[in-house]
Amino acid sequence: MKDEDIQVFINSARRYFHSIDASSPLVVEPPYVKENSPPFLEYTGVIRISGKAKGVVCFTANNTLLRQILAELHDEPKDESAIRDLVGEIANTLSGNAREQFGKEFLITVPVILHGQQGEFRFPAHSRNYVVPLNWRSQSAYLLVCLE
Amino acid sequence: MTLLIVDDSSVVRRAIERDLHSGDITEVDQAQDGEEAVRLYQLKRHDVITLDITMPKMDGLTCLDKILQINPNARILIISALRDRATAIDAIKRGASGFLCKPINPPELREAFELMLSD
Repeated sequence: MKDEDIQVFINSARRYFHSIDASSPLVVEPPYVKENSPPFLEYTGVIRISGKAKGVVCFTANNTLLRQILAELHDEPKDESAIRDLVGEIANTLSGNAREQFGKEFLITVPVILHGQQGEFRFPAHSRNYVVPLNWRSQSAYLLVCLE
Repeated sequence: MTLLIVDDSSVVRRAIERDLHSGDITEVDQAQDGEEAVRLYQLKRHDVITLDITMPKMDGLTCLDKILQINPNARILIISALRDRATAIDAIKRGASGFLCKPINPPELREAFELMLSD
């Protein structure tokens, strides 16, 4: 993965949050590379990538941010399942949108959801791990792109 | 008019149902994967279907083929995060009536839906 490839994921994140509320801009802070300890928040959606690229793409956020998105969608979560579902759907959308640049051979799985700060996650063996800090309505989230 | 919404995300299924809710739609069913969608379609032959692609058990393109084997005239709008031209063209060639990229917003969804119905 080249450094400039991260931009397609940033564009996907901007597009997603714009679709939720065009009047609340997503703030994207400078990406950095991380070798260990993923910056996971309360809920994380993990998408495995194969085909043209290999690795994982994760979106992680806290309950508060996810509930705000559900409110914008006019969804009333009765339990945690809607929160878990949403974080997986965001990870799926950001990964799937990257096929705009990487094409049809960028294969994505259905999301796996992690709850908690570490979960069972391990960085892929030979990936370059980019962390993109995001901020929406003063709530933090991270996009983690780990691709060979 | 009956509607079948197929997506592995319950949040997305509920959003689509809310966005498309109108007097024209008398009954809505939901399926969370392709297998469940084919089973439901065999039973009820819905008038229109919205169909995700990336799903467990059976993906949306396989599901599309199976539903079109049951009814070659089925009206199916693909709603997927897969934002590449080749996938959209593939879906249309297989027989989908339309292709909409996630994230979706209500006006775009309603427009795509109405366009599909007008064909």
